[in-house]
Amino acid sequence: MRDPFKISLLPFCALVFGIFTLMVAVYFTASLPVFQKEGIHIYITNVWIAVEDNPEGEFYGVLAAIYGSVYTSILAVLIALPLSIGFAVFVIDYAPQKIKEPLIVITDIMAGLPTIIYGIWGVFVLVPILRDYVMRPLYENFSFIPLFSFEPAGGYSYLTAGVLLGIMVTPFASSIIREGYRMVPFTYREAVFSLGATRYEVTKILLGYIKPVIVASILLAFGRAVGETVAVSLVVGNTFNIHPSLFAPGYTISSLIANQFGDAFIYGYMVSALFAAGLFLFVIGLIVNIGGLIILKRYVYAKGG
Amino acid sequence: MLREVKERLFLCGIAVAAVLTVMPLFHIIYTVAVEGIPVLMKAGLNFLTDTLAPPGEGLGGIGPAIFGTLVITTLASLLGLPVAVITGVYAAEYPESIIGRLTRTLLTIMMEFPTILVGLFVMQILVIPMGSYSAIAGALALALVMMPYVAVYTEEAFRNIPFTYREAAFSLGLSRFKVVFRVLAGMARKGMVTGMLIGMAKVAGETAPLLFTAGGSNRIYFAGLDKPVGAVPLLIYNLIQQPYENYHEIAWGASLVLLLIFLAVFLPLRLSLKEVRL
Repeated sequence: MRDPFKISLLPFCALVFGIFTLMVAVYFTASLPVFQKEGIHIYITNVWIAVEDNPEGEFYGVLAAIYGSVYTSILAVLIALPLSIGFAVFVIDYAPQKIKEPLIVITDIMAGLPTIIYGIWGVFVLVPILRDYVMRPLYENFSFIPLFSFEPAGGYSYLTAGVLLGIMVTPFASSIIREGYRMVPFTYREAVFSLGATRYEVTKILLGYIKPVIVASILLAFGRAVGETVAVSLVVGNTFNIHPSLFAPGYTISSLIANQFGDAFIYGYMVSALFAAGLFLFVIGLIVNIGGLIILKRYVYAKGG
Repeated sequence: MLREVKERLFLCGIAVAAVLTVMPLFHIIYTVAVEGIPVLMKAGLNFLTDTLAPPGEGLGGIGPAIFGTLVITTLASLLGLPVAVITGVYAAEYPESIIGRLTRTLLTIMMEFPTILVGLFVMQILVIPMGSYSAIAGALALALVMMPYVAVYTEEAFRNIPFTYREAAFSLGLSRFKVVFRVLAGMARKGMVTGMLIGMAKVAGETAPLLFTAGGSNRIYFAGLDKPVGAVPLLIYNLIQQPYENYHEIAWGASLVLLLIFLAVFLPLRLSLKEVRL
């Protein structure tokens, strides 16, 4: 090639691609033993039989963790979505000029805050508050509803993890929605107002216009929530459990890895089982994030942003 | 009439949403301050230099963890920054080429990647062959987490330079190396430095990638790059899970220290910019 500049830079790009490929390869090879032994059962059963010195007696199924990851992340998105839309609309349309910028700075701080600080706050503040003021009253009065049917003992539950994750991903989701909402041409706003629409009706129409951005923010926020580890593992309860109730303790894939990996090496197949769980998280994360990014990119192209 | 009611409800709704969005941060800062300040007062400055107290008695300090965080963040920067900057430059210089586009896509995906998976990966390729947790493994994991941020910032900084500067530099007869690294790099400096600082601030607070790589060390400051090393977030994570009252106090103190460091780095940075990506 005639471009020495390009050639000398290429090795570094190759390194990044190489690392990524190696990562995929490592996840596949490391989870291979458990696939060979159990097949698809690793993903569709909820068992955790770890016996020392007898690899044949071991059996692992991580369905509870997959269920917990999806459950808590959906809760997080359900909490984050209304908050982030409300916040974005407020900041762009209604916040007084003076507090606009500070509000955005605050959410940026929240998005960058070390997650362990959310974790310690979750354990010592959020868990007792939710247990005493939300879970207990709901359980005592409405335990016939399946969602509220589990007696909240410690307060460590899907709900706690979902709420904490919701708080953590709201700033991120709202920054995406904010950018999209800001891009809506001013003439649209004028046009709708000139028809005599109320502010509520205008916002409703404009939000319809940025629907793809909102869908993308849901996917990307889900991707963040599903990958979060330490804050969740501190509040989710870490129990192999598949229960419909919000108040039941459970596991998530990342908290399962965080909790079990340290001791996994004394067993024959546990490391492999945890890598298989990691591979699943890998794939979910990839699908959700690529989906979100494609939708976002298409929208920006289409609207000429 | 109904429209007016809806309007009122809507305005109340978004105001409440906005308040609920930012309120947790105030409560978190308030709680960390209320719980952490007494601990720091009681332990004094030694909190920053002493080693961890035994379970159940006294406070000691978090010196090894602070030192470890400094060591692995520095090492991670040494490993990650050069690769990240050059990759970012490549993506900015060849935005239309297939490799350039793929690089950009890959970087954006890596930015959203669950960090625990990075830790697991480094464990498998470095910790197991070496037979022990180590500072270098922790640094590699953090470097992989940091890289996409720095690369994306670098790319954007280069792309935001008006094309005329590039033309002018080329018209002087400079080679592409000199155009990019002498002329354009100077102009993109602010964006690049921002990316580096944000990347470093981000990884200094990371816990998940360190769980199975750095290993943690509470009593020994530094034993070598191939030996386990502590980190402040990791220490907090481990202390919370202990049943001892004094360990919880230390965890709050350490959280306050971490929060202050984060705010001290992040806030000036954020205020000097229009927007950031996190």
